[in-house]
Amino acid sequence: MRTKNILLTLLTLLVCSSLMFAGTISGKVTYTGTPAKQKPIDMGKEPSCAKQHATPVTNETVVTGPSNSLENVVVYVSSGASDDGQVPSQAVTYEQKGCQYLPHILPMHVNQELKIVNADQTSHNIHPLAKVNREWNKSQPPGTPPISEKYDKPEFISVKCNVHPWMHGYFAVLNTNHYDVSKGGGDFKLPNLPPGKYTITAWHEDYGTQTADITITGTETKEQNFTFKAKAY
Amino acid sequence: MRLWAQSHRCQKPRRVSSVLAAAFALVFLILGASQSASALPAFARKYGLRCSACHESWPMLNFFGQKFKDNGYQLMNDRDAPIWQNPGYWPVTFRIVPLWHRVSTNKVRVDSGDGSREAKITSSGFDLTGLDFHTGGTLEKNISFYVLPSSDATGSFHFETVMARLDNVFGSPWLNVKLGKFELDNLLSEKRPLTLTANGGIYQLYHFMPVGSGNIFGQIGSNQLGVEVMGHSLNDRTRYSASLLSSNNGSVGLPYGSNSYSAFFTGSQAFDAGRLGVQRLGFYAMVGEAPTTWLTDGGAPVPGSGTGNKGYSREGFVGQFYFGPHVDLTVVTQHGSDSAWFGQGYGDLIDGVAVNNNTPGTVLAAGSRAPTWNGVLFEPHYVYNPQLIFIGRYETIRMSQQSTPGTPSNLGNITSYTVGYRYNPIMTSRAGLAWHTEYNWFHQDGTSPVSNTNLTSSELLMGFDFDF
Amino acid sequence: MNSLKPMRFIGAIFFTAILGMVLAVGFAAPAFAQDAPDVGPTPPLVLKPMESHIGNITGHAAAAKSDYRRYCAGCHGDLGDANGENAVWLDPKPRDFTSATFKCRSTLTGTLPTDEDLYNTIQRGITNSNMPIWNTFTRQQRADLVAYIKIFSPRWDKEKAGDPIKVPAEPPVTIDSIAHGKLLFTKLECWKCHGPAGKGDGPSSGTLTDSKDNPIRPYNFALGKDDSRFKCGSTNQDIYKIFMTGVDGTPMPSFADVIQPNDAWDLVHFLRTLQINRHGKENEILSAAHGVIPPYVDKNPAPAAAPAPAPADNKSPGGGQ
Repeated sequence: MRTKNILLTLLTLLVCSSLMFAGTISGKVTYTGTPAKQKPIDMGKEPSCAKQHATPVTNETVVTGPSNSLENVVVYVSSGASDDGQVPSQAVTYEQKGCQYLPHILPMHVNQELKIVNADQTSHNIHPLAKVNREWNKSQPPGTPPISEKYDKPEFISVKCNVHPWMHGYFAVLNTNHYDVSKGGGDFKLPNLPPGKYTITAWHEDYGTQTADITITGTETKEQNFTFKAKAY
Repeated sequence: MRLWAQSHRCQKPRRVSSVLAAAFALVFLILGASQSASALPAFARKYGLRCSACHESWPMLNFFGQKFKDNGYQLMNDRDAPIWQNPGYWPVTFRIVPLWHRVSTNKVRVDSGDGSREAKITSSGFDLTGLDFHTGGTLEKNISFYVLPSSDATGSFHFETVMARLDNVFGSPWLNVKLGKFELDNLLSEKRPLTLTANGGIYQLYHFMPVGSGNIFGQIGSNQLGVEVMGHSLNDRTRYSASLLSSNNGSVGLPYGSNSYSAFFTGSQAFDAGRLGVQRLGFYAMVGEAPTTWLTDGGAPVPGSGTGNKGYSREGFVGQFYFGPHVDLTVVTQHGSDSAWFGQGYGDLIDGVAVNNNTPGTVLAAGSRAPTWNGVLFEPHYVYNPQLIFIGRYETIRMSQQSTPGTPSNLGNITSYTVGYRYNPIMTSRAGLAWHTEYNWFHQDGTSPVSNTNLTSSELLMGFDFDF
Repeated sequence: MNSLKPMRFIGAIFFTAILGMVLAVGFAAPAFAQDAPDVGPTPPLVLKPMESHIGNITGHAAAAKSDYRRYCAGCHGDLGDANGENAVWLDPKPRDFTSATFKCRSTLTGTLPTDEDLYNTIQRGITNSNMPIWNTFTRQQRADLVAYIKIFSPRWDKEKAGDPIKVPAEPPVTIDSIAHGKLLFTKLECWKCHGPAGKGDGPSSGTLTDSKDNPIRPYNFALGKDDSRFKCGSTNQDIYKIFMTGVDGTPMPSFADVIQPNDAWDLVHFLRTLQINRHGKENEILSAAHGVIPPYVDKNPAPAAAPAPAPADNKSPGGGQ
């Protein structure tokens, strides 16, 4: 559904800006070294969640794929994008399911509506530990309507549920709509970039950030890969 | 913490002039002695507050510090019981002052041929005060204690304060009971003065006795033995205290009489005066009896045998006025009155202050009257910031009725000026250090040792007042 | 009495004394020159002209500069960043004013507290912490300090304080309201942290951290006696506000979106019975019922009442657009 949202957004953008030429930046995020082994999570204290997972889930601080690919890296245009201030009208949705956050990292535009849903049979409290934005903390018992919020300043916000200490995720509040999160295989794609100079930033919650400067001249696809150095612990 | 050693407390004077001198010397020696200020880094360490939170400038308390003390050294925040402390925490603080001072007295008795004459003596040099070991805090929630072994400059110790207190009895701040030797509930505390000199480091008003009086017992500045019932409102705006005290001026071992008691009462009310700050008005009254009759052994008085109680009283008003965050003024008044017996030199024979023994059949000299006097004290402060304070003080005591008719009406009158400043280069929650500078000028009418003319002394003092 | 002559003498002495002191200041000052008297460690801090309004009193930040340094900076730090020299020894840690996140509010979670909220916190102190009860200050001093702590966060420049939540009049305590409160305590999973008996020993209690990752313990209701205090007050109204607005910066979330006002009062009544050693109307009514809280029977089922029991097949209501 999120993909649909993005597609819709991008379609709107395309039409509205009447762009004849639109470039794409795509690439792959990989790591070198040995990432820390992700610890399995014991959900024994929350049986309603534990039974949803046939095999125990692990931490999601570092999620890797085949060929040293790195998932959950937010790649976005940190300068040069022309869509500052264009807040998408659709909301993004953050779901609590099986005592996990889906997705683990949720990118959104500044001031875009954020809906938080509790699909579990237990109470969660959503506690985004914002530093630049306002910090709030709300209880969401099962069956209650989604919580609607928004953030007015760009920030990577760590999200936790104090009741279930293993639950951990991120909001990536960005000043752009040109973003992607690397998925299985570490692939990302930033399409529909009008000609211009761009700075692309890749952000990983544990490994930090990397940037690259790229110039788009027309309808073209430029490749930009990012390689993070893994931490052993 | 006494600047002066009490070397000759038991010296027995023989002549009247030497009685006067001895009485005066006692004012100097005993009184200059009781400098046991309470500024406890031990408390700051326990609660993690800066000295300045409780002290306008240590050791002088501010209103918050007064409330802390009134609560039994508790912040009333559930962290008061010692179980909250690291087991290694022991609530001990020491305080001492290395200093340089210059002391000048215009008339000191010196030998001259077969007789005596008076000479001006000025001396200066480096010196020490005594050492105080303060230990205080809580034994349990709402049970507090204070123990203060205090020495003179030679290291001779006595117990300045020893007390245990039940706080907030029946859960009410209006009832706190204290037993032991403790400071009377003086709003302007002599145990927390911003001054250190022999005459400026005490409040003359708190220790005054008329020339020739045998009464040492009415000293509201001395820590006294007894029991105190004290209470206050939750925000400490309203306070009262009532104490039953042994009439022994805090001396242990029942040296005087066995049935002599005094009482001390205080009450005060504070008002919120907006930008000016919190203003406080209060009163105090000490009324009591002390012995004048002694059994003797070989002519020497027998300790504990004192009977023949006679009365005395000290009462006055106290005002603490704040004029914004920087300027404040404390005013204390006193009207004092002693029984004519004390005025005629009956009273404390044990310490050689009195010259007469009120044995059965003794009659007062004809025309003897109860000595009375009035005094006032003004102490302004300028708090430049929590680290720097300027201090001034003017004290005067005027006899209004001498005991013996015909005595010069001004005999024994005291005027004392003190100015100084304290600069705290550090302001932490662990220790205190103040650079202390002070000048005191002291004048008393008619009490020079030989010619019975006016006596003047002055002292300039500078030193590091520190505690940890 | 003294004649004029000694008075002149006094004058001379005083002149000398004051001269001596001035010289002494001159001598002392260079020794401490690295620490100018007025500022201590110089904070690169702009003293913004913030104000506070408490009733008819207007507080000004500039007026509290000295008081902040005297009373507050030892823990909260000269820069308001909770890095005072004592902070490392304290648990829980002092409030960091640079984040403008405050525990005790009458306003919704995430919003700035009202001036009264901050004023009351200064006045009340915070139990189970090192924050003293500053009720010795004048009202003006407290108002000035409220204004002063606003200089530390830019949020106070742009944002307004949140609107205070409405606290309806407290309905009478009944055994039914206590029973319903108990049901809510279970349903809302208060017990996950506070424990089934409110002893602060719920299954998640050992894992809790505040927003700065410092361990924090849930409130233990069972310790409460007659003088019991909560972090943000001691009255039933205060308890109501605490769970409705949440305790920001801690794991305690806001329940404003999920509890109806009357239900909230029922929860307050039940929470009071967890304070087993406290004498109050709640415990009296419980005693009258022989100490047994009966199962709650909903006499007026209200379909809209939240939280609705979650049906087993409930996926994500309203979540899929």
